[in-house]
Amino acid sequence: MLIRRQFVLTLALMPITFGIWYAADALFAGPAVWLCDLLLSSLYPDIVQGAGLQGANMLLTTQFGETNGQILPAREAGNQIALEINTRLVSYSVAFYAALLTASNLQESITKFCIGLFWLTGIMAFGLASIAGKDLLLMVGTPFLSAPGVPPADLLAVTYQFNVLLMPTLAPICIWLWQLRGSPLWQTLEADIKRASAQR
Amino acid sequence: MTRFLFIFCTVLGSLFAIEMLKPVQEAVIQPFTGFLAALSTALILPFDDTVIAQGRILRDAATGFAVSIEAGCNGVEAAIVLIAGILAFPASLRHKLVAILAGFFFVQALNVVRIISLFYLGQWNYTVFEWFHLYLWPVLIMLDVLIVFAIYLQWLGKHHTQPEPDSC
Repeated sequence: MLIRRQFVLTLALMPITFGIWYAADALFAGPAVWLCDLLLSSLYPDIVQGAGLQGANMLLTTQFGETNGQILPAREAGNQIALEINTRLVSYSVAFYAALLTASNLQESITKFCIGLFWLTGIMAFGLASIAGKDLLLMVGTPFLSAPGVPPADLLAVTYQFNVLLMPTLAPICIWLWQLRGSPLWQTLEADIKRASAQR
Repeated sequence: MTRFLFIFCTVLGSLFAIEMLKPVQEAVIQPFTGFLAALSTALILPFDDTVIAQGRILRDAATGFAVSIEAGCNGVEAAIVLIAGILAFPASLRHKLVAILAGFFFVQALNVVRIISLFYLGQWNYTVFEWFHLYLWPVLIMLDVLIVFAIYLQWLGKHHTQPEPDSC
């Protein structure tokens, strides 16, 4: 009964949490963009100059430029390639997580939400970095792949698949389950798990 | 719990890596994605005869609007998460196989609903289409995975508590 209530309430709360998330624009993605900027510009200074927020998008300025369809270092080209990345592609995890958490009616839910948001920010930063990697692979190609420290194309593809297509929905569930421990819903789940594992 | 997490993460990572291999993409993922497009078309056709499937593309012959089913839209990633969860949880091989087959069916059934709904939402309003495509449907599919897994746990528990039938 508690589990059914949880799923029904999550679905009912989703329009509200997604509405707040959309209205908040880049508020939830801001720290992730900052973290992504820190990560990429310190790990790959020859590729990324910096990243910042522009509305709900992350504007990533690269060290590459383009002249007559040819990709060159920015200094030689006299211009810089910049990527616009939609931060909502990863930040919707916050809206999903908020719906899951609110539906559970846990004690100290505000503190739990802040802790969850902290973890999600890190995961969002990796998601944004993965989108940047995929976009650079498609836009810049060989000059990007041959730069020092850049992983092979296959690894970039797997990373994108994992961090962008999977983590925004899987991470909120994992964090929520972790925070659920000790609650009446967790006790119901635990009883189900005990009964289920006893049948082996 | 630690054992569950270890197996879950290992199976998840392995299946993801296998899914991305070129031979697997060519022999399994792409034909399966094409099958999803064909199945969606077959379900729509009795109600709307303007829809046609071209490989992974679903097209409306009247308006010219088309949706292409790409990686991440074929429900394979969600199915992988469910399979990893089922394999990581201690149960008999028979129960695991039944759960994987039934779970895969339920995830894909909702995924076909997603494809069809996106096909019509895109023709109606592109902003709404983007919202559902990028943000809402991925969450609903993952919620479906969670529900299927919760039902699986309850089913396993009930299986255990049911008394054995008397033998004659």
